[in-house]
Amino acid sequence: MHSPELPPAPSAAGISLSGSGPYVITADENRALCATLGSSVATDGTAHPVFFFIATQVGMGKSVAGLCAACEFDVEDGPMIASSKVVFSRALMTEQPYWVTGEIKSLTRKRSRTLGAMDLLEYALRLALPDGALVLETTNVWVLPRRNLA
Amino acid sequence: MTEGAVTTGGLSLAVGMELPPYAIAAVDPQSMKLWAGFLRDPNPIHLDPRAVQAMGLGDRVINQGPANLAYVITMLQRALPGSNLDALEVRYIGSVFGGDAVEAGGRIGDVTEMEAGARVTCEVWLRANARDIVITGTAVLSLPSSGET
Repeated sequence: MHSPELPPAPSAAGISLSGSGPYVITADENRALCATLGSSVATDGTAHPVFFFIATQVGMGKSVAGLCAACEFDVEDGPMIASSKVVFSRALMTEQPYWVTGEIKSLTRKRSRTLGAMDLLEYALRLALPDGALVLETTNVWVLPRRNLA
Repeated sequence: MTEGAVTTGGLSLAVGMELPPYAIAAVDPQSMKLWAGFLRDPNPIHLDPRAVQAMGLGDRVINQGPANLAYVITMLQRALPGSNLDALEVRYIGSVFGGDAVEAGGRIGDVTEMEAGARVTCEVWLRANARDIVITGTAVLSLPSSGET
């Protein structure tokens, strides 16, 4: 049986995700995070590398709910992370201000066997020092279930 | 520059070598509350089993994806002390629930001796309850020859 065509995904590509202020990984927060992992805290001031995700998510110009809203999606409908990619240019440090820039790369609507219909949201974020030197680049893909379209 | 097997920073590394796994006996729902704060993301599926039930996703809170990823990174840090994580690419293909046992693992896919150490590419994964793969991916790390970062 042929499924009816889905309406197009909202136009979201190009929306800026650049932050409006610096993000700092505090030594206290790094210590608390390492404790949840049973991981020792580095003595040289480096932060746990998973802060690549946290720093970019918290430092970008939108909350998770705001990012979803930019895609005309209600965060209460349960976005799901699908993939992450990061390339580091240098290690993350505690007590160092970082700036986040980024943008939505694409929002693609697809049929899904398990969800009925969904949008794939891809966005890119970059973390830089105050002088502009790049620290890392990351790309995340989220699944936004569109159960109302199924 | 040699490939296939390298000794650097006191570590002998060879293609196909399994990295020592890193296990968490039971993922603590209390730590999910801390991660909600780290991520500034109060999604109730990480905090309230009733929210998980309401979405038909089970009856236990669901661990944050980045927390699952952090177990994998911690495994790499323990297996390759002194290394720097240069790149990481992962797919999140399943959920970890409160109380689940998880084990992060990895295998060396490529190792190349460099002028000042080695570059190692590893397949990585996170398994829940010794059964389900919930994260799979690839990590690239550099190891200085002296073991210094």
